[in-house]
Amino acid sequence: MQEIKDMVCPFCGCLCDDVTLGIENGSIVSTDNCCTIGNAKFLGKNRLKNPIQKVDGKWIDITYDEAVDAAVDILLDADRPLLFGWSGTHGEAQCVGVHMNEILGGVIDSTTSVCHGPSILAIQEVGHPGCTLGQVKNRADLVIYWGCNPIEAHPRHMSRYTTYADGYFLDNAFRNRKVIVVDVRETETAKVADEFIQIKSGGDYAVLSSLRAILRGKADMIPASVAGVSKTQLMQVAEMCKTCSFGALFFGVGLTMAKGKYKNVRNAIELVDDLNRHTKFTLTPMRGHWNVYGANEVFSWMTGYPFAVDFCRGVAFYNPGETTAIDILARKECDACMIIASDPAAHFPRACVEQIRDIPMIAIDPFQSLTTPLADLQIPVAVTGIDAEGTAYRMDGIPIKVKKVMDSGYPSDTEILTRIYQKMLEVKGL
Amino acid sequence: MKFILNTGRTIRQGKYIENKLGQGYAEETSLCRIHPLDLLELGVEEGENILVKSEIGEIVLEVLADEGLPKGMVFISYGIHCNSIISPRTHGTGMPDYKIHEVEIFPTSEQRKTPTEILEQLGGVRYAGN
Repeated sequence: MQEIKDMVCPFCGCLCDDVTLGIENGSIVSTDNCCTIGNAKFLGKNRLKNPIQKVDGKWIDITYDEAVDAAVDILLDADRPLLFGWSGTHGEAQCVGVHMNEILGGVIDSTTSVCHGPSILAIQEVGHPGCTLGQVKNRADLVIYWGCNPIEAHPRHMSRYTTYADGYFLDNAFRNRKVIVVDVRETETAKVADEFIQIKSGGDYAVLSSLRAILRGKADMIPASVAGVSKTQLMQVAEMCKTCSFGALFFGVGLTMAKGKYKNVRNAIELVDDLNRHTKFTLTPMRGHWNVYGANEVFSWMTGYPFAVDFCRGVAFYNPGETTAIDILARKECDACMIIASDPAAHFPRACVEQIRDIPMIAIDPFQSLTTPLADLQIPVAVTGIDAEGTAYRMDGIPIKVKKVMDSGYPSDTEILTRIYQKMLEVKGL
Repeated sequence: MKFILNTGRTIRQGKYIENKLGQGYAEETSLCRIHPLDLLELGVEEGENILVKSEIGEIVLEVLADEGLPKGMVFISYGIHCNSIISPRTHGTGMPDYKIHEVEIFPTSEQRKTPTEILEQLGGVRYAGN
């Protein structure tokens, strides 16, 4: 068995780059250093062998050339196509997607709009006091996980960067590093915290505001209990935050999807701002898809906006709540859809899934997903990190080269998108 | 009884991310975690089925007792089951209420559907494989 070290895991925003893969007869047979989810991704089976197309309600196998032609026809026939996904593919493919969208005059959106889109709205309002995960690992003596559950969603986050990691500038990091978890339910992560703050659903904004008031010397204004959290605990937590040497606040979709959405995140950023008057404190969103941060970067370089970019006016236009995928689908506005590297049928509300069903839809994905049965065409591609390489951005904004471990013969996302894009230019005479 | 629906990642759901048409994913995403005292009030035992109803629709799930949840809240892992009852309204933010959605729960003798069955009901066609 051949062993390949230092591979990068293409599952979550941690982008763990210390994975060892065992290869036998051209396929991955074992993983080392992977979490359960990364392991399942590397050992994933049942990839589609060739492109498939739905004709008269039945699937038929087609060639890549036929698939490219069919995709071009669907996209060019549309008045307002939606190009959605992008977070599970590499930056180079995302670049082609933006060019393609400009030609089509459609909307390009990533899974950001249903994960940390609200965080971006808040960051655009008040900035991002962030740092690298390396800084957190080596310096943070206090870690807060707010509205996130890394043990289940980012399984190696705590062992690589926070709770269980050694710190270069910390003595006995494992024992001395304090962990606070804030959540509406007692998750597995909450069970290992030094301090667990259980707030009532929808109470994040009030708790953040109370902590800010205490830090600004206005503790007298705080009632005995705020959103189910006692004043005593709030005072204690504020003191822990104020007196640490380096604090790191990580927050998840528990803030962005709850009542208040981006205003919760704005308040969290402003809490970090307040804490920086006392000590050093930073904030990092726990990004889900391995390259969702990359999609925001690429879209920003190329269009000026990080997600939900609408080209129907010929220039980039951005208005989350209007140009975001959920809203466009719910309003039944788009008349064709290209889904790449994501699975909206599994993760969008039913009304949006019904709209995907009702319009021509192309899926680009190595595996059959829940989006496949509703697609008109699916084009299988290489999996970045296994049989394709590319650039990805870790949750702290650090670009990392995701490697290729074998040659499977599948085209990469960049290759297939480039073929569609070039054919599109040819048909339009551009 | 009325509840707040909370959805999120579980490690088992994540494990089946590239095999969503399989039995493991279907089992995990059709589980509804609920506080044991709420179960008592509903008159349902762990392992039995419930009907979860929202303004959008309804879905049958199996209950799992979870003391980590506050009373009045249920938790379902990300997937087609919970999304069948979530409203597409985003209040101008692009983000639906995945963490704070009002639902009503009733005991039921109906059976759970698999994601494939839900998709077929929606008009989807499963690819049998090559």
